[in-house]
Amino acid sequence: MLKLIQLEMKKQKLGWYVRGAGIAIIIISFFMWLMPYAEDNGEPTFTSYADALSIGGLFVRAVFIVFGSVLLSRFIIDEYKTKTVSVMFTYPIARKKLIMAKMLLILFLILVTMIIATVIVSLVFLAVNSHYHFLPGKPDGTVLLHMGIQLFIQTLSAAGISLIPLYFGMRKKSVPTTIVSSVILMGLLSSSNKGYTLSSSVTIPLILGIIGFLVAYLSFRNVDKADIV
Amino acid sequence: MSYVVSTRQVSKIFKGKEVVSDVSMNIQRGQVYGLLGPNGAGKTTLMKMLLNLVKPTSGEIEMFGEKLMPGSVDLFKRIGSIIEYPIFYEKMTAKENLELHCEYMGFYNKHAILEALELVNLTSIDDKAVGDFSLGMKQRLGMARAIITKPELLILDEPINGLDPVGIKEFRSLLRMLSKEYRMTLLVSSHLLSEIEQVADTIGILQGGRFIREVSMNDMRSENTDYIEIVTPHCKKAAFILENQLGVSNFKIIGDTMVRVYESRWTQQELTKALVLNDVEIESLNHKHTSLEEYFMQQIGGGEKHA
Repeated sequence: MLKLIQLEMKKQKLGWYVRGAGIAIIIISFFMWLMPYAEDNGEPTFTSYADALSIGGLFVRAVFIVFGSVLLSRFIIDEYKTKTVSVMFTYPIARKKLIMAKMLLILFLILVTMIIATVIVSLVFLAVNSHYHFLPGKPDGTVLLHMGIQLFIQTLSAAGISLIPLYFGMRKKSVPTTIVSSVILMGLLSSSNKGYTLSSSVTIPLILGIIGFLVAYLSFRNVDKADIV
Repeated sequence: MSYVVSTRQVSKIFKGKEVVSDVSMNIQRGQVYGLLGPNGAGKTTLMKMLLNLVKPTSGEIEMFGEKLMPGSVDLFKRIGSIIEYPIFYEKMTAKENLELHCEYMGFYNKHAILEALELVNLTSIDDKAVGDFSLGMKQRLGMARAIITKPELLILDEPINGLDPVGIKEFRSLLRMLSKEYRMTLLVSSHLLSEIEQVADTIGILQGGRFIREVSMNDMRSENTDYIEIVTPHCKKAAFILENQLGVSNFKIIGDTMVRVYESRWTQQELTKALVLNDVEIESLNHKHTSLEEYFMQQIGGGEKHA
């Protein structure tokens, strides 16, 4: 499996992804800097450190779910589009294994970039805050630790969720469908209703993450029987 | 005799349309098998079914004596193929594509890549991405990829497409070499009959999804394919003389001015003499043999039009 993942990396150069992710991280960090200035009727945007960091994490997850759909398009949908699957599927390797290797690679890439992005965005916010003092006082160590764990679990689940667009994309082997479904997914997950978002608890996102992985698996469950036309 | 490929009443229905129907094809080990048929006859679909890319709606396929199942993959170690047109990872160079292929095939021989490129005469390609290749070059590269692991069975779908005349000639000798020296079994499809004729041991003719005939080239050649063609304005008289004086029974009158004699008992000279002595005017008299093309046209019913 590791070998297959390596071969996938050979096929797709990942320079564009690293650049894109870098730019996204910069923009999100910049946003986090600007947000405190956008006061809502005198109410501050962020009420606490936990609040600020969880919003930063939400941004990161939302953005990288869309990135994930681009990876899915490149690694899986494009192989169908350019018909290279018809070469890939005449190798003495089970089709499910081939696609699983791709999925694991994507999951890994997304997870790692989400974690790096969350850490950078949080650090940038803390650094900016220590200069401008949007929030009173100093961050509490236990709050930070608690937030860190929560963010990590949420990121884990978001990485699983980011695979869901594959299900929609595979039905028509379409890149736009994959990306649009990820945007819709992102909207659903980050829409907030009086401060309560679907992703602010821990159990719901975790379940969603597992569902995400299963749904992605469903999308190629029948790949052995499928015709490659 | 063992069959490398054997299909039994294989059919494929796409969206209610039968693309391949009831095909029973047998390819013996070591043979060059030519699959002939006009465009849209189902050649590619049939080949895809052998490679498990398309699943038959009904019927059975046996490869190397084992039944092909939806999840069968091990057999692919023994097969090289080009289907439809050669497909590559276009942003990668030729060598990278071949290296990737070897990795997936589990084949590790560093010299094999250069060797294969030399075999198909594709050595001066530098580091160009495959996307910039011409169709002919891609076709050669596809061939290199198919033969790099020296598979037992080679499935080539329209491999001559896009090759120039020199390329076609090289290709022909390459096929012969693969068959004779490496003892590969080859399945080659084409609509270019004259090319198949020169390399195939057996041909299968496919039309409108139906398998019309499977015949060995030897049988076909001996199947009255040699004949003497007489062009004369006195067709009926000539026929009378042939039948009554010379005792020829196997001949055919074509149109008003042509008689074909399918018996080799009489030489051209003897026929000429007999006819001239009976005042039959002869415009020409030639020894001919049916080319595969004529045979093919006969089999698929000649003038039918194909889009």
